Formats: sequence, structure tokens, C-alpha cells
Amino acid sequence: MITAERKPMEEIIESVRPYNRILLVGCNECVTVCAAGGRKEVGILSSALQMAFMQEGKTLDIKELTLERQCDPEYVEELVTVIDQADAVLSMACGCGVQEVARRYKDKPVYPALNTLFMGAAERQGVWAERCQGCGDCILGLTGGICPVARCSKRLLNGPCGGSTAGKCEISQDVDCVWQLIWDRMKALGIENRYEEVMTAKDWRTSRDGGPRKIIREDLV
Amino acid sequence: MSLKKRLLSKEFVVLAEMHTPKGVNISELVNNARRIKGRIDAVVVPDMDNGVMRMSALAGGVLMHQQGLEAVINVYCRDRNRMALQGDILAAHVLGIQNLIVVKGEEMASCDHKDARIVNDLDEIQLLEVVRRLQDGSDMAGFDLAGAPEFTLGCTLGKFADDASLEKELEIAKRKADAGAQFIITPPIFDIDYFSSAADKIKALNVPVIATVFLIKSVGIARYMSVTEPESRVGEDLIKRIRKSRDRETECLKIAGESIEALKDKVDGVLVVTLGWEHRLPTILDYAQL
Repeated sequence: MITAERKPMEEIIESVRPYNRILLVGCNECVTVCAAGGRKEVGILSSALQMAFMQEGKTLDIKELTLERQCDPEYVEELVTVIDQADAVLSMACGCGVQEVARRYKDKPVYPALNTLFMGAAERQGVWAERCQGCGDCILGLTGGICPVARCSKRLLNGPCGGSTAGKCEISQDVDCVWQLIWDRMKALGIENRYEEVMTAKDWRTSRDGGPRKIIREDLV
Repeated sequence: MSLKKRLLSKEFVVLAEMHTPKGVNISELVNNARRIKGRIDAVVVPDMDNGVMRMSALAGGVLMHQQGLEAVINVYCRDRNRMALQGDILAAHVLGIQNLIVVKGEEMASCDHKDARIVNDLDEIQLLEVVRRLQDGSDMAGFDLAGAPEFTLGCTLGKFADDASLEKELEIAKRKADAGAQFIITPPIFDIDYFSSAADKIKALNVPVIATVFLIKSVGIARYMSVTEPESRVGEDLIKRIRKSRDRETECLKIAGESIEALKDKVDGVLVVTLGWEHRLPTILDYAQL
């Protein structure tokens, strides 16, 4: 899923300061799962903003709404009945949702309340970690189902660097050396011989380096 | 007189582009440079020009310097992050390079290493500011330098087909000038009559304007440019002139020389780009009466 964190309150406050009526829009998908921009977080941010402005003697009119998916035009359309009652939209979706609202409602300023971070998975309750960079040419089949592109600090494709110590990355003791994980997994699977195969330089055209990407499924269009 | 002094004293400057080899054989580059020594003010060395992996511009610039020619090297952001760029810029100064042009990198899709990763850590305006900052004695992270470099810093003007697109490009160019660019290189100029009106607008940037004179080497290239790059304003008259000539190669050189001559009273200098025909630069300069 796409993970995100709420922006610092000061930044959010400054972004909505010029307005009196805000439409605060959450999303029921990824940002709900990572507890950043779902219905609950919309309510918390709404109260926090009202209190902050109240201290300044200003009443901020906030309408709260949480869409099923803010990155989907079908659901973003639901804002049509309330959009005119707001001076600006404050979105608690990932960057995809923010942009979809901005694309649909061209004359309405839209501000992000979250910083979108990465595609990741939950490691345990309240902890999410990066797992995929969407490089467009998946090599997980070659690396025991563990991605060095997303999880190696240097994106190394042929084993660890000299900074790998006791299974940890040199950047932090809290970061596993992904090549240690890959090696352990290969051993467990009995495919250590694959480790010796040299991976050639990656073709980055399928990644963001080839420009903004788009999928067109002719069978669904 | 150095390029910097010529620009400051508003003397007409003549620059010529010289490409580094794809490999380590530098004899052609050095020989071509020797041929024009004393006839131009500086050699401009592009970096990975047209998206082709070649010997770096820094090495090319140093070679020019060793030959007694002043060098201008291109720097761009596609392949280097802020650390690499700053390091190379400091190296350039130490190795005798006095001039830089911040340029736009070719799209990776048009390069000969299409599968490479793109860096683009900075953009052109940010890089111009970084050079200025280095010249003021500190790096991007705010650390003091042990000795600050000095450069005459240039930038480029994007291609424009008409007044509307020129206005757009001038807005960007103004930001570059504000960020520290001390001269500006135009795109190749083929329609000099049209350019005359544009030149006044470009001069409003208050930095010396150097027009690019691009050597068209054949009717085919002229036709190709007129069709695929309408903003180049390669006109039918030009194509016809080359086509009707008995000696088309000489005609192309003459056209480039005449273009330089015609631009002398319109801009502060020219950059002659011959893309592989650097050995013909002396002839072009002859036709330009330089």
C-alpha cells in the first residue's frame, strides 16, 4: 500500500490560513490503513485546526468528508455537491488523491495535509516499511522475494557493500542489510547458487527514469 | 584578451564548439583545436552532447587549455547529483577552466544509454545559483570552501518558433540571468531577419547575447530540420540555395560564414556549431571574414 504521514501542524495551518471555509477530505484506502488520512484522522485534524484558529480568534468552517478512494474519479465526483461550499480543499489522501481532486475541480485550491512516503507493508502494529519502488521490471524472482532496489540503501544488485555488519546496514542499526536477508532466504530455499549469478546493470526505462508512466489496458478501456 | 574581458568590454566574441571523442583518441580534437587557435576567443566543449556517452567535457576543456585555447565547458544536471556537480566545478577551476555554461541535458530516451538512471538532483536555475554560491566561498550544504572558484557563467535560451514562445523562453532566461548567468547562448539561428526583432527582446535580459550559428551540412539536413523542428525556421530559400549550388558543401560553409557576418551587428558574439565538421571551421571563419 501507499504510506503517508501527516504534515506538521504549522505547515497545514499556514496552507489554509487564507481561507474561511475548508473541505477536509480523507480517503478510505491506504492512508486509512496506515492511520494517516482516514475518517478518524480527518476528525482529529479538523478539531486541531479549529482549536488552533480559535486561539487566534478566527472561526474556521470545516466540512469533513472521507471518500472511498480519492484517486478514483468515480468517488471524487461525490465532492460535487459540497465543493462550492468551500474556499479550498485540504486533502488527507496520498499525492494521487490530492491530484485527482485538483484535476476534477480546476477552480478550487487543493492543499495536501499528508506527506506521501512509500509503497510498503506493515511490519507490526504501527510500523510500516518500504518494500517496493515500482521500478517496472520486478526482480523479486531472482532475489528470494526480497527487493534490493527498494530495501538496499545503495540499491546494490550484486550482494552487500562493505558497510554490512552483523546483518545491519551502515546507515543505521535499525535497518537490516537486505543482502543479508536475501542470502538467508536463498539458503533457506536451497538456492544459494543463484547468489553467484551476476546481475547486469538494470534497465531503468521501466522506472520513473523513462518519464511519467501510464498503463493502458485496451481490454478495459 | 580573455572571454570575460571581451564580454565586459563589449567586443564581439567568437566561440566554436568542439566535441570530445567517444573513446580516448584525442588527436582529431587537438588537431582541430590547433587549426583555429588565435582565430576564436574560446572553445565550447559540450558534455555528452546529443546524449552520446563521450569523454567528459572537463577533460576536453583541460585539453583545450593545454593547447593554449580558452575553454568553456557545459555542465548539466541529468547525470550528476549536487555533490558530483560541485566537485567537478571545483576541479574545473583548478584545472584552468574559466567559463561554464549551464545547459539542459538531453532526454535520456534520446541518449545512447537509454536504460540509464536519471539524476536531475538540481535544475538549471538551481545549478546556476550553486555556482554563484561556490564563487562566494561556500558549498550547498553551507560549508566554507578552502579557496573559491571563479567563472564566467553562461546559460542557454530555449528554442522559440514565434513571439509567443520567445516570451515564454525569455521568462525562463530571466530567471537564469537573475540566478547568476552572465551571458546567454541562443538556439541555432537560421532566419536572421526574424531573429533581428527577437534579438532586441533577448538583449533586454541585460547579459551579452551569443547567437548560435549551426552548420547545415546538406540539403537533407536542412529539409529534415525544417520538417521536424519548425521552430528552427529553416526556410525554403535556404534549402533551395543549397540544393541549387554546384558545390553544396562549400555553399553550406558559406551560409554559416555569412550568418556570422550578418549577426555581427545584432548580438555580442557567436557560437559556431559544426557537429563533426570542426576541421572546416577555418573555412567558415574565412567566409565570416574573421
